[in-house]
Amino acid sequence: MSIPKLTTQSVQATAKFCAAWAIVAMLFSAANAADWGTLKGRFVVEGDLGEAAAVNANKDPEFCGKHNLMDEAIIVGEEGALANVFVYLYLKSSKTVEIHPDLEKVDTEPVLLDNKGCRFEPHALVLRVGQSLEISNSDPVAHNTNLTPTKNPGFNQIIPNDSPLAKTFEKRESYPSPAACNIHPWMKAYVLIRDNPYMTVTAADGSFEIANLPAGKHEFIFWHESKGNMKNMTFSGGKTSRKGRAKLTIPAGDTLDLGDIKVSPSVLGK
Amino acid sequence: MNQNTMKQKLNSFYLLACLVAPLVTVGCSSSGPPEFRLDMVKMVSEETPTAQEYQQEIADVLGALFGTPDEPFALPETGLNAIQLQMAAGSAWSDEKGYNHGLYRKHCVHCHGITGDGRGPTARFLNPYPRDYRPGVYKFKSTYNADRPTDEDLHRVLVNGVPGTAMPSFSLLPSSEVESLVEYVKYLSIRGQMETALTNFVFDELGEEEAEDEDGEPLLDGDGEPVLRRIPFNPAEDAEQQEVVADLLAEIVEGWDAASEKIILPEEDQIPAEERSDEEIAASVDKGRELFYGTRANCIKCHGPTALGDGQQDDFDNWSKAHKKFLSDVAESHKGEPTEDSQEFAASRDEVAAMIYPLRNAIPRNLRQGIYRGGRRRLDIFWRISAGIPGTPMPATGSAAPGGKGTISEAEIWNIVDYVLSLPYESPSRPLKALPANTEGIVN
Repeated sequence: MSIPKLTTQSVQATAKFCAAWAIVAMLFSAANAADWGTLKGRFVVEGDLGEAAAVNANKDPEFCGKHNLMDEAIIVGEEGALANVFVYLYLKSSKTVEIHPDLEKVDTEPVLLDNKGCRFEPHALVLRVGQSLEISNSDPVAHNTNLTPTKNPGFNQIIPNDSPLAKTFEKRESYPSPAACNIHPWMKAYVLIRDNPYMTVTAADGSFEIANLPAGKHEFIFWHESKGNMKNMTFSGGKTSRKGRAKLTIPAGDTLDLGDIKVSPSVLGK
Repeated sequence: MNQNTMKQKLNSFYLLACLVAPLVTVGCSSSGPPEFRLDMVKMVSEETPTAQEYQQEIADVLGALFGTPDEPFALPETGLNAIQLQMAAGSAWSDEKGYNHGLYRKHCVHCHGITGDGRGPTARFLNPYPRDYRPGVYKFKSTYNADRPTDEDLHRVLVNGVPGTAMPSFSLLPSSEVESLVEYVKYLSIRGQMETALTNFVFDELGEEEAEDEDGEPLLDGDGEPVLRRIPFNPAEDAEQQEVVADLLAEIVEGWDAASEKIILPEEDQIPAEERSDEEIAASVDKGRELFYGTRANCIKCHGPTALGDGQQDDFDNWSKAHKKFLSDVAESHKGEPTEDSQEFAASRDEVAAMIYPLRNAIPRNLRQGIYRGGRRRLDIFWRISAGIPGTPMPATGSAAPGGKGTISEAEIWNIVDYVLSLPYESPSRPLKALPANTEGIVN
């Protein structure tokens, strides 16, 4: 490739032009909300899954036994609302996504994971690369937190009462990573580590919303801890693939509402 | 080495040359030279169901990157010593000068298997089962929990053996032979880690995609359904895949290269003096005992109030956990309606499930026997307590990375070392405290 020789004049001219263009571009992107859109929906279980099983809290029974612990693998609320479904943007390892200016900066506030009442609080959470995960222990009994990610180094650490353990991660994971406490084997949590903000977990009412997505066609993953990828799940206007993914078009300046996404018990291994 | 130079190196001529090398076949026939086996639990698991065509392609890429058990090959960027690998690989024989070849097959293969999967012919009869090298996770080492072992760590295990297990000492082998074996074990680990990484990649990013015509419009079949096209895994002909393979290998190699910088070096001023009076030792033992039963170190939870290893006994190590999950998925799949996915893999899943050895719990060590698998030096015990034991339920109490802060101080870890080393001699009649030691906050 030949590099054209630049005269001082042409450099100045180019610089001016670039500066002008940058300002125009800035105004344009700030003003143009039409480049971004929202995805929302609500997961509803169709059919009866029965009652969640009680946990046999046979470790530290004096303390853990008094919390009426229930198996948290599948949390179904009123009208079948399914909590703790991870919804996030699928990306091939070589790809990145344009991030909305408001979301570019990684939150300096840590994401909290507390060992409280012999369970993890919260049970499912999302974390950005570079953001601090702060693990604390509010219980008078000891807990260890054993996180086993795939791409990032894991850890298995005793969590003291007085000072929380802070962790950051460098790499994007493809799936949520399990956290466990080996002292209390029923304790489980899931942490999704991604290098972009386009991820969320459904709330107790089964709903989720991901705002400020770049408009256009994207692939999303739907993942639940009981069976991983939520395969062959139908919703209005589509269905998830054998890998639990769906290609969806995010409308510019508008919201794609998937409505009630019906989850059959078989998707959850029931 | 920074990522960019690493990548440049990896994108070198060698990688390309080896990826287009002749294809190697996969399988386990009873005749012919021994071959590396794929991890079938992974291949047919619910997480990464891998179709047979992809299995073959993964085996081909691994064959191109690592060669065969008779002809091992290692890219220069792996940093592995080709001459040492040659000495360790192949059939066992001695040359005219008395040099021994095929060391791995002479000394290791019976238990650890050709692929290093811990499934040699005698493995089924041992307790504990031999280590599966493929995840690259080692228990007895000097580095932080998440880090790879150093060469010295592996060397030490080979020379000392693992007391209390079937792993013997190889201290009678010349040092050069031990070093060759260390190199070969690392080679098997890197190959195994690469197999997992490639399988994840194939599942996550390849598979069937909707075919498009020249204008980017979806191709439809007669019924108006989109035409699906399988994306082959063939890095030799796909620059993007080639880069992914290079990146994955670089990440794995980086972990091994970094090990020597991740050694846990106890702070000099915290190490107990060589010469201590009986009173000083007794005081340290008492502090250690306090910690052993307390909630900060909390050893009692697993090692038990008697230190006989009779606390939490129903947990599993990570190697068994993967098998346990697979077995329970298979058992469950027989209950529900068959799906597209389960039909494709049902037969092979049953076959693979039948090959898994009986699951065993991770039993905490009985500390009153005075047998220490990872070595009996004070430093060995310090490392176990500080870093925990990777792949097992044993957590770390020290810092998790260089410069970090642990749950307990180094001085306190040394106290526990003193207590643990005193346990085989502690009178069983020594009265125990009321247990658990910290019930105060509980009553409310």
